[in-house]
Amino acid sequence: MTIEQAGRRANLLQGTLDMLILRTLLYGPMHGHQIGKNIQRTTNDFLQMQHGSLYPALHRLERRGWVSSKWEMAPDRNREFKYYRLTDKGRKQLVVEESQWKRMAEAVARIMWPAAEEG
Amino acid sequence: MRGWRKRDAELQRELQSDLELEEEEQRENGLSPEEARYAARRAFGNETLIREQTQEAWGWMRLEQLMQDLRYAMRLLMRAPGFTITCVLILAIGIGATTAIFTLVNTVLLRSLPFPEPDRLVWVSQQDHSLPGVAPESLSYPDYFDWRAQNHTLDGIASYTGATVTMELKGESQRLDVQTVSSNFFRVLGAAPMLGRDLSWEDEKPGNRAVMLSYSFWQSEFGAEPEIVGKSITMNGHSYTVAGVMPKGFEFPIENPAPVFWKSIADEAEGKSPASEQRGFDTLSVIARLRSGVTVEQAKADLSVIAGNLARQYPDNNKQYSSALVEPELAHMTGDTRPALRVLFGAVSLVLLLVCANVAGLLLARGSRRSAEFALRAAIGASPAAIVRQLLLESLLLSLCGGVAGIALAFGLIRAMLTLMPVEIPRIESASIDGRVLVFVLIVSVATGLLFGAFPAWRLSRSAPARALREGGRSLAGGRAQHRLHNGLVVVQTAIGMVLLIGAGLLMRSFVRILDVNPGFDSKHVLTSRVGVPFDETKHNQHYIFYQQLLERISALPGVQAVSAGWPLPMSRFSATVSFNIQGRPVAMADQPSESLGLAMPGYFETMKIPLIAGRDFGEQDGLTGQPTIIVNQAFARRYFPHDNPIGQHIQVGVGDDLFDHPVREVVGVIGDIKRKGLTADADPEYYLPYAQALITNPYLVVKTNGGPAPMQAAIGAAVHELDRSVPVYQAATMEEYLYKSAAQPRFQTFLLSCFAVIALALAAIGLYGLLSYMVVQRTLEIGLRMALGAQRGDALRMIVLRGLTLALAGLVLGMAASAVLTRLISGMLFGVRPTDPVTLAATAALLLAVSVAASCVPAFRASRLDPMKTLREQ
Repeated sequence: MTIEQAGRRANLLQGTLDMLILRTLLYGPMHGHQIGKNIQRTTNDFLQMQHGSLYPALHRLERRGWVSSKWEMAPDRNREFKYYRLTDKGRKQLVVEESQWKRMAEAVARIMWPAAEEG
Repeated sequence: MRGWRKRDAELQRELQSDLELEEEEQRENGLSPEEARYAARRAFGNETLIREQTQEAWGWMRLEQLMQDLRYAMRLLMRAPGFTITCVLILAIGIGATTAIFTLVNTVLLRSLPFPEPDRLVWVSQQDHSLPGVAPESLSYPDYFDWRAQNHTLDGIASYTGATVTMELKGESQRLDVQTVSSNFFRVLGAAPMLGRDLSWEDEKPGNRAVMLSYSFWQSEFGAEPEIVGKSITMNGHSYTVAGVMPKGFEFPIENPAPVFWKSIADEAEGKSPASEQRGFDTLSVIARLRSGVTVEQAKADLSVIAGNLARQYPDNNKQYSSALVEPELAHMTGDTRPALRVLFGAVSLVLLLVCANVAGLLLARGSRRSAEFALRAAIGASPAAIVRQLLLESLLLSLCGGVAGIALAFGLIRAMLTLMPVEIPRIESASIDGRVLVFVLIVSVATGLLFGAFPAWRLSRSAPARALREGGRSLAGGRAQHRLHNGLVVVQTAIGMVLLIGAGLLMRSFVRILDVNPGFDSKHVLTSRVGVPFDETKHNQHYIFYQQLLERISALPGVQAVSAGWPLPMSRFSATVSFNIQGRPVAMADQPSESLGLAMPGYFETMKIPLIAGRDFGEQDGLTGQPTIIVNQAFARRYFPHDNPIGQHIQVGVGDDLFDHPVREVVGVIGDIKRKGLTADADPEYYLPYAQALITNPYLVVKTNGGPAPMQAAIGAAVHELDRSVPVYQAATMEEYLYKSAAQPRFQTFLLSCFAVIALALAAIGLYGLLSYMVVQRTLEIGLRMALGAQRGDALRMIVLRGLTLALAGLVLGMAASAVLTRLISGMLFGVRPTDPVTLAATAALLLAVSVAASCVPAFRASRLDPMKTLREQ
């Protein structure tokens, strides 16, 4: 899975995108476009969602039962969108992934900035 | 597939809406509609690709890919029609033969009885404790009535017993096979008449003779006339009321010939000493319906209590019948055929296994030639799983084609088998391919496909792509493991072939032994038939005089050597066991011995060439007014007079008519033992009474002719009708036919197993031939090199033949070892041959090796003809 980072490709660890999507859905049900835009906007366009990554990820999450989907009317316009929402299983998974990510980030930080650790 | 399409459409809609939103946003940023669309598309990316990537996330729906693989597999198979047709034909033989045998198993053993809740129908009998093991004995009417009244575990219990009646049909009197049944017979079976009424309890009482017609008899003899119900018909000189007509297809008991109608037991309750009151007259077959929830064991315990009470109450008749036997009706009906069908099914399964190994070998050889293709696929990213899937799909496709062709073959095989089949196997005539057989074929085809496909697929998916690509077009592809697998397959085929050959060989030897058995009589040129002379007590003399006159007339016919009459005919299914006592050896009535009873007119033993060992044959002096006499056979003399001379002894037999009421009879002769029940059965002790002194049942006419007996039949019929037009002639057959029929079952088994063995041998030879041919092609370079370096042509020849012989020997040893275990299963079908018969083993091994060498010679010869220079240049 790739996430475009300011024009340069960066391979992120497997599962990161899943975690970001799950975290985003914590705000409430969203359709695919909203999820993508939300991640992009929140990171000040640092992370640009590729549709080729987003949609397979969404469908994969749905297959695993972490999110559920439903075609619903959008509140602000007269159209149906496929809304994804977090399931209970997904909420639990988010906690798991978050703690994993945290441990990973700490481990990376210890190697990259050992001084900070000493100080 | 439909779910997949719907899902795909939904995904498209989802992506489309995202794209539109993107476009809207771009417009809001100030771009013109056209620019906005392009910008959105750029930002969005390749929609088809996104769709494909998302579909992959669904995972479980790989149908499209599967279809693609299937199309590919089909193309491949069609591109190699020779290979495909060979495989499909071999598979068709295996699946077809298996299907045909399964059809028999299904028809005879598996199909449930055509009655409601057939699992509750049970066969009931009483155990004869004077004999070892399970020895069922028929019930008498009084016993049956007591069982019917006293049991607590049955919904109903019905009696039936076969009878033949004389009836005037279309101006000619005929003998008909009918059944005498208790009035609840149809209710117990759960069947009801389609016309008229069921039999009622009243129909069991004297004077209320009633019949229930079968559908086919109603059609053929009464023109399907509904008015026949309530009218009366005449048989045996009595009139019977037609109660009703059973629906089409109703048949019970299931036997050959099927009963044409069922008559009530009223006539058994009539007369001076009616059968329905004689507790010693054990003739009834009994079927019962268990109460729901009652087990066979519970019913057996319940009825055994009744039997025990009756044995105490009536020791004279019932002493040895102190318990009941109960078995599911279907299991009882098919019990005798079960072992034989099981062996045939086992044998045909082996054939199928051999077919699998054979086709697996073909696939492996072909796979080696395709190794470059697989290597290429692996190199550009196909996973081993994908290659296995592709190969398995190909083999499944092959086996399904083989299955379809196999069904066609099975149709033909079943037809052929039915003409060979001994009619004694119940229900066999209705053998047909039904839904269950089709499901069986499907399962077998898929299982076969997976089995023969799995080994090569597993093997081929593991070849290293780089090496295979490098060597692809050349000879060494495949490698050692693959050779080992291929060799193993050939050894397995040879081993299976060996097992089947040994089995068939044993049955053949055993069958020859059976035909060699001296039956104790001479069946050559002997014609038999029965005449239905009525037994009217007031005209007893005339009955016997009719026979005397008839024999005189027949003996005067040209071409007749000798003529007489006797009962029971050897190899016919009739027999009677009657108790007797020997004068000077007083025993209680309950402990009287009983042995097989026979009847004979003067000259019977001579006509049948049954040797007279001592004393004299029956003559004119043993007639209606003579001294009561009896003749015994050697087995009888051995058992009862081991130290005395049987001639001159006196025996009182428990049969009598109004002229000879249980007289004491003098033994006047001893005859040789004859095989009465079958060629493989031991000769039982027997005694014969002069027919004049025991007018019990119409005897068989036996006519010894000078030439072929068949043309005499018409002349005999004419002789009978000259004496009396109203007397029917029936059961005409030659003695040879009886003998032939008595060996029908072993003949059938031997024939089928031999067919399987021949197929197995041929396939094993083909397998070996295929492997060696392939080996020669693969080792062309090596052989060429050797020859270039000075090896002789004979060396190449020897190398290949030796390889073939080694493999055959390995299979032979393996097959022998397996047979040591497996032939024990057919030991019950063998007669006069032990399962380890050395002659059979040696002959089989020799045949197998000879065929193997022959199969090796062609490829070996090809190897020896290789031109070394040409070979080396080409490589």
